[in-house]
Amino acid sequence: MSDNRIIAGSGPALPAPVGDRGRAVALIALCCLLALVAAWSVTLGTARFPFSRVLGAVFAFDGSREHLVIASIRLPRLLAGLLAGGGLAVAGAIVQAVTGNPLASPGLLGINAGAAFAVVIAIAAAGAGSGDVHVWYAFAGAAAAAATVYALGSAGRSGGTPLRLVLAGAVLAGFLTSLTTAILIFDQGTLDAVRLWTAGSLSGRSMAQVAAIAPYTFVGLAAATLSRRHITTLSLGTDIARSVGQSPLVWRGLSVGIVVVLAGGAVALAGPIGFVGLVVPHIARFCVGADYRWIIPFSALGGALLLVLADTAGRMFFGSQSFPAGVTMALIGGPFFLWLARYRAGGRP
Amino acid sequence: MKPIVAALLVALAGLSAASLALGDVTIPADELVLAIVNPAAAAQDTLMIVLELRLPRALLALLVGMALAVAGTIAQAVMRNPLAEPGILGINAGAALAAMLLIVALPGASPALLPWASFAGAGAMAAAIYALSWRGGTSSLRIILIGIGLSSLAGAATTLLTAFGEIRDVQRAMIWLAGSVYDADWRKVRLLALWLSGPLVLAWLGARELDLVRFDDDTARGLGQRVDLLRALTILLCTLISGAAVAAAGLIGFVGLIAPHLARRLVGPAHSRLMPVAALTGGALVMAADLLGRTVIAPAQLPAGLVTALIGAPFLGYLLWGRRHVPA
Repeated sequence: MSDNRIIAGSGPALPAPVGDRGRAVALIALCCLLALVAAWSVTLGTARFPFSRVLGAVFAFDGSREHLVIASIRLPRLLAGLLAGGGLAVAGAIVQAVTGNPLASPGLLGINAGAAFAVVIAIAAAGAGSGDVHVWYAFAGAAAAAATVYALGSAGRSGGTPLRLVLAGAVLAGFLTSLTTAILIFDQGTLDAVRLWTAGSLSGRSMAQVAAIAPYTFVGLAAATLSRRHITTLSLGTDIARSVGQSPLVWRGLSVGIVVVLAGGAVALAGPIGFVGLVVPHIARFCVGADYRWIIPFSALGGALLLVLADTAGRMFFGSQSFPAGVTMALIGGPFFLWLARYRAGGRP
Repeated sequence: MKPIVAALLVALAGLSAASLALGDVTIPADELVLAIVNPAAAAQDTLMIVLELRLPRALLALLVGMALAVAGTIAQAVMRNPLAEPGILGINAGAALAAMLLIVALPGASPALLPWASFAGAGAMAAAIYALSWRGGTSSLRIILIGIGLSSLAGAATTLLTAFGEIRDVQRAMIWLAGSVYDADWRKVRLLALWLSGPLVLAWLGARELDLVRFDDDTARGLGQRVDLLRALTILLCTLISGAAVAAAGLIGFVGLIAPHLARRLVGPAHSRLMPVAALTGGALVMAADLLGRTVIAPAQLPAGLVTALIGAPFLGYLLWGRRHVPA
């Protein structure tokens, strides 16, 4: 199964990527772009505000209606998009590094399935509660599912392999998804209540939800940034990792922990969005090569950018505040990804 | 290998007998034997239930399971990825989008169009993935990545229909998407059997080629294999097999993913043995799923596609757990 280890996909066939300086410049440029898009996104909506108003609402809040709209609707929505997009993309990059499988995404650890299952159970059993509660159900479901997958994939004296982790994830995710669908088929009310959440949407996020999740995302991002060298080593495969002195078991466990914190929080905020975690790391890999020291920061910025852009575009072009960002994201990111995959992936020309 | 095949055949026979006997009306063993051995002497309604309702349904489940398992085995070998399944070629995403369009966007359309629409969707998707990943040759990685991209585009469209469609149509579509053999009849069984016989035999004859292509491209090419041609042919085969299965029964997930893994744990990786064992395992899995889905919570029915995961997943989990001390 050698040529499927994704690191090979961006090997010699790629034109030598720019050096570290070029990558650093690109990273700064991406930062600026993200800031611009974020600023633009806050000014757009049912009513347009000049950017000075937005600054005013942040730094000199006067309780006027406009300031209220900005502070309690627009800003939480933007922040939720930034946190969820960045978190999911970094989580996806780490899962792909750990498993060496291009089909891997946070969903493979059962995160999306676990979150969806918990939310559906909660709604079906207790009726549609407030969004604040969903956040914690989703987080708890995601964490429980990922812990089960990790236990199943790594128990025993041999300590598990990426293959077993991946299979355990596919097994649990399939199981939970089927249970969720079985509930939804018989319960039209719950289906109606969750279908927008399932599509991935940022509408109606409150500052309280964002504040609840933000610490987890920051801890996860910091941990991912600190361990980016080890993640690169891990991505070379168990044998190489062991021969350069890394303990793959310890670092695999640690990486899964980071993924749970990042992706669990993101799914709790934005719903089970599959696209970011799967595709953004590939895009980053196409652009900066197979080195996770660079893939991780590029994924964080790229994921945040894509999700905010998708949410803003959905609001702008479809005129609906609750248009699911998961859909616009695939529409924007999909063709770009296809173009990259066609021209930059694979051993032969 | 022989004891394993024999055990699977016995299991299949037992499952068939149970599928024919159990249901809203339980048929006693002696009447069941009579209806099969000497139909002229059996009661009219028993005959009707066993031969016209339950037998085609059990056979359709068997065929669909075999087809999905073989397609999954091929996909895992050619894509060199343990997570590969027919869905990787966009078959599920294409079929789901076509079905959603037909049910939600064109609610007036006849349900008889559903199999044809979903087969067309699956075929179009697989063709598009192959065409987009062809650049003077293909590579497994490029096909996988293009598959991810196109599937997520189609998935976005499906999600859009799910989120904003009429809720009753959405629920109907979800039931079809969950995969079920409830509307089986002899015409469907004959058509599917006829359609599958060629591709399944071809797949089995190609077992040695699949053994080779599991190595990387360079090794396979060095051993004299025309890798690109083989990849094109196997993808075509995979589409024909699983596209037909999806058209007949909707999206029965999971069989294509786990039946090959179960079989590999039973008989090892050589495809000449793997393929028949995977086919029997897949057939048994879907048959058992349909039987459980229609009896356990009767009179309500759970679609077989959901039950395959509900019984298949714990079983594979048990296998993983049981072998946790075995290195690699």
